[in-house]
Amino acid sequence: MTKEIKLSIGIVTIATFVMLVYWFMPIENEIDFRENRASAKEEKVILPQYEKSDYQNIPSVKAYLSELKGLIKEGKSILPLPSKELDSNAQKVQDLLLENTEFLKDTKQGETLLHNDMMRILPAIISSMDAKTQKVCQKSNCYQAEKYNFVTNVTTRAIVDVKNMKVLTIEQYPNMQPDISLRLTRIAQDIALYAPEVKKELGFTPRKKDITMANVRGSMKESPCENTTHLCVAPTFTDHKKEQALWAVVDLTELRFAAAKWAGLGKTTTPACISERSLQNRHIMKNYCQKDTVLEKDDWKITYRLTGSDGLEIRDVTFRGKKVLKSAKIVDWHVSYKQKGAQNLDTTTQTYIEGREVEYIRGENDTFMFGYNDAMGCPMFSTSVVLPFNGPQVKELYTSNGFMLTQDFRNPKWPMACNYRYENRFEFYDDGSFRVIGVNKGRGCGDNALYRPVMRIDMDIDKKERFWNMKDGSWQAKIEEFKEKVPNIKPYAYKISSSQSENKGYYIESNYGQFHDNSRGDNARIFVTKFAKNEGDQDFLTLGSCCEVEEEGVERYIDENVSIEAEDLVVWYVPHIYNDTKEGHEYCWADTFIGDDGNARIKVWPCTVGPRFIPIKGEE
Amino acid sequence: MRKYLPVVVSLIFVGIAAYVVVNKKSEHKQIKESSIQEKRTNIIGRFSKQKSCATSPRFLKEKKIPQPVIIDLSQKHYKGIALHYGKGFKQTLHLKQWEQFEHFSTYAVDKKGNMYLVPTPFISIIPTTFNLQKNLYKLDSNTGKVSIFMHFYDVYPSASNPYGLTAITYDCDDDTLWIATIDESDYTSQKGVVYHIDPKTKEILQKVEGFDVLSMTLLKSDKGKFLLVGSARDNGLYAYPILNNILEDKVIKLLELPNANEHIRKIKIIANNQLELQSIPFSYTLIAQTAKQDRLIYNVTWNPNLRKWLSTTL
Repeated sequence: MTKEIKLSIGIVTIATFVMLVYWFMPIENEIDFRENRASAKEEKVILPQYEKSDYQNIPSVKAYLSELKGLIKEGKSILPLPSKELDSNAQKVQDLLLENTEFLKDTKQGETLLHNDMMRILPAIISSMDAKTQKVCQKSNCYQAEKYNFVTNVTTRAIVDVKNMKVLTIEQYPNMQPDISLRLTRIAQDIALYAPEVKKELGFTPRKKDITMANVRGSMKESPCENTTHLCVAPTFTDHKKEQALWAVVDLTELRFAAAKWAGLGKTTTPACISERSLQNRHIMKNYCQKDTVLEKDDWKITYRLTGSDGLEIRDVTFRGKKVLKSAKIVDWHVSYKQKGAQNLDTTTQTYIEGREVEYIRGENDTFMFGYNDAMGCPMFSTSVVLPFNGPQVKELYTSNGFMLTQDFRNPKWPMACNYRYENRFEFYDDGSFRVIGVNKGRGCGDNALYRPVMRIDMDIDKKERFWNMKDGSWQAKIEEFKEKVPNIKPYAYKISSSQSENKGYYIESNYGQFHDNSRGDNARIFVTKFAKNEGDQDFLTLGSCCEVEEEGVERYIDENVSIEAEDLVVWYVPHIYNDTKEGHEYCWADTFIGDDGNARIKVWPCTVGPRFIPIKGEE
Repeated sequence: MRKYLPVVVSLIFVGIAAYVVVNKKSEHKQIKESSIQEKRTNIIGRFSKQKSCATSPRFLKEKKIPQPVIIDLSQKHYKGIALHYGKGFKQTLHLKQWEQFEHFSTYAVDKKGNMYLVPTPFISIIPTTFNLQKNLYKLDSNTGKVSIFMHFYDVYPSASNPYGLTAITYDCDDDTLWIATIDESDYTSQKGVVYHIDPKTKEILQKVEGFDVLSMTLLKSDKGKFLLVGSARDNGLYAYPILNNILEDKVIKLLELPNANEHIRKIKIIANNQLELQSIPFSYTLIAQTAKQDRLIYNVTWNPNLRKWLSTTL
């Protein structure tokens, strides 16, 4: 046997062995669903950074809105399909339905016209018809037409016998969205193409040919919006090389980009997996609840995060390298309402208003207070009930002398009654001053509401600090933990300083309406306590009563004879804000109205409170 | 050159053989995958609405409360439980004692009319909230009193997941209870547990870990018996096969709702091959909206010919 033959036999033997091993290796397709999900590729989520108004200048959006306004002005409320989207029968069906009172019955609210779009008119599909209608349509030529009411989120479907020009059935489907018209498809594409967030993610300016317009609602039609009462679609940009796609959710009710996500091209990434709300939740959890974020801007360095129930918290704040704050946050919003009739009040059984258990406290002059506590925090795995929208945002101040870090919290159904919207905001100024702000945007359960955000501010001026109040024109150091109503002393009623130097620290400027934000003042209570780890440095679950107006909940941390001279101090600041619902005087309020284009609009009258901390100019 | 011919021939042979083996194995894999898929989508088979073995609580008769009665756990107007009855269900029975354990989310009724109640945290946290989530409660058929029926020592709700027990269903075949807990789950992992319990002895018959269940119901079909579960984690409806009263440790996805933020809170078999699925947004935070009008309702039908779930809603 030659050497070459031996080599050949060796090759064949080894190869056969390798192939046998390969053949009998187990196929890894006995998938445990849990494992499958755990190993799924992580999806990147992109949230909107631009205002809704930015999208209204897109030519197709502008033309659409202009046509809507014209239509409403003419006293009509259904935007018909253009003839190029219709065959001759469909055109006849549209003309017939636009005169049909039954089909038009939900297009008005009182005398106010509501925005409706005719979405599609096509030969009737058998699954859309009941048995009786099917029978008629077997002998005739039937079409189905669908319109969508953008205000009430109701789809109306009509089946029309074209041969006899007779409307056979009209059905309404609340909380359902139909397939959209070609015009709205183009508008959705234009919004997705325009969105700066999409361009940035793709790394190039996309064109229409790059989009695939998915049948976003699948067999069970629903919206992928945060708000299921909106009509949303998801134009998609596919990158076959990287085997991934960018799904851009466009809200056609608001005419804006709502959210996007990168996802693999696999079977699991169906459009049903996209929902603005769930994308936001995942993005916020991953980036702001599970880790701290460090913001370095101008001369400020700020660490921030979202807490489980204490809203947005800033920590370890420095200005030009000098320590300013250990922590600042709004730990709770106490909400209470004042009513007459305390004498007849029955408190033997629990009372609920819109699903919230309420607490009653009797007051003077036959009045009583009732209400509850609202916790803000992470959108998943927390005890919050008012959830964050769109993650913390950094914005320039309109006065151009600083910036703000802000977080929007909302009940999903805001501004419906007994739903709330709060903003946690921190403003940082170029001169080293900062402001801790709570904004209430209504709407609550009605008038006579008292809102009390409980702010906890742990300064980091020095290891040992002193707290001072202005009395008879001079500063006097406070000796023990205390609580008091903030006096009307301008410009500053308090200051906090290092125990080593009275001039190293911050003045505290209460808000009495001087900050040009239409605020009616803080009317606050202040507490100063010695730092204790278990007194709010970590998440609070709840703090005190909603409705004991003279108690803020912080009282439990005020102990008699506890010195605050040369100690690590914590300032608690609790504004008292009364809402106003009188027309022309609204405050802490929100309302929905129908605009001149027949769409629902929200008007907000925010109330903004919180003190400003101003560096004492003296010792550097 | 001729002397190298055997080497060249052997290499060509090996190349061709490798090509054939890889292709054959790939085909085999595809066939296996498709049969698994087929098995998954077709697993439920045909099913029909079963008659419930539950009976009305006996104390209602003593109180002369006429049937039918609506069980209200919405927490909208009454804490705990309330029963509505009479014309238009305008009359209400609500006892102060029923508020003792705060809020409930769902229930199951047994053959004797005992009602087993699952707790829920609701809007605000109070010092007792977390402890209350560790218990299964029972409204006694004879006395009408609510008490702690079973305490789960290994359930630990916390500020980062306030939920304990979440779902329940009663098994009329063997008078047992199926219960779910989700307390140990966090953002990165799901560690929910399904318990099978004998209410007579309070013995845990089986414990299956690894899936967060928000709702459950039992279903019998021509393919066997299943525990249908709505996921707390996503918008899917899943099934656990049950063989000889033992839950198989493998959960199979049946369908997903069109909105990812909607999670199935109630599963009802309403007709042949037809389910009603009630959904809520759920993210392991506190809930404020609990009434039926706060839920989305989907009717889905299993079409055995198409081997597909179809929506009968729009």
